[in-house]
Amino acid sequence: MGEQVTFAIAAIGAVSFGIGVVFFKDAFRAAVSLIGTLLSVALLFIVLMAPFVAALQVIVYAGAIVVLFLFVIAYLGERNEVPGRDRLDAMQAVGWIALLGIAAFGVIAALDSTIGPGVPPPTNTDVGSPAAIGHAFLSDHIIAFEGTSLILLVAAVGAVILAKRAVQLEGGR
Amino acid sequence: MTVPMSAYLVLSIVLLGLGMLGVMRRRNPLLLLLSIELMLNAGNILLIGFSRQWDDPAGQIFALVVMVVAAAEVVIGLGLVVAVFRSRMNLDVDEMSSMKG
Repeated sequence: MGEQVTFAIAAIGAVSFGIGVVFFKDAFRAAVSLIGTLLSVALLFIVLMAPFVAALQVIVYAGAIVVLFLFVIAYLGERNEVPGRDRLDAMQAVGWIALLGIAAFGVIAALDSTIGPGVPPPTNTDVGSPAAIGHAFLSDHIIAFEGTSLILLVAAVGAVILAKRAVQLEGGR
Repeated sequence: MTVPMSAYLVLSIVLLGLGMLGVMRRRNPLLLLLSIELMLNAGNILLIGFSRQWDDPAGQIFALVVMVVAAAEVVIGLGLVVAVFRSRMNLDVDEMSSMKG
């Protein structure tokens, strides 16, 4: 019972804050609304017995990524949004068709008897504990682990180079 | 009675649709990146949900990798946005189509 109530609160929160992200005119409000969605998703992760990923969701997403967004929004300040000329209608149509396909596939999967309402998930598992995740990372998924560090290195070097070029354009050193 | 996996599926599809709507109707590249974060989170919900359903830590590994990719993408995306909009004044993705030098 408690699990269902928590799921309902988190799901409603995620969807309503997500609507805020899409429809707020002000960039600052949209970014703050994204924090609400991310915290609701973290609550869902806790319901799904994944406390480690939930903690990282709060620390990395809500703590670091959204703060970076807020810095850039404050740095660039208010800009006027120009009215669109080319809405790329054909590509939008393709996108909606793709989303409809995903939704149809999701409905088929949701009606599948192996994950439907009648099948409870296994209880008393520890797949979400830091120990289990660390073990999986360093044994079966070592390539993903190393690839992760490579991605972070490339992102850091790329950010430094982009910032350096921007400073040079302004005549600084 | 616990929450069935199909509920998580429906929630994930709704969040993915919202993110896609945002990518299509926003012109400000900052808000476009925000909508992409929404879509990535929809995927993460499914990864964690199926990890719980099938008792396999691989889904959690995938979700963590997705988070790292999202962080890298935001760093590079915001770096590009700042670099472009120091020289040009409007926030409009269509004007970014000529990126040289």
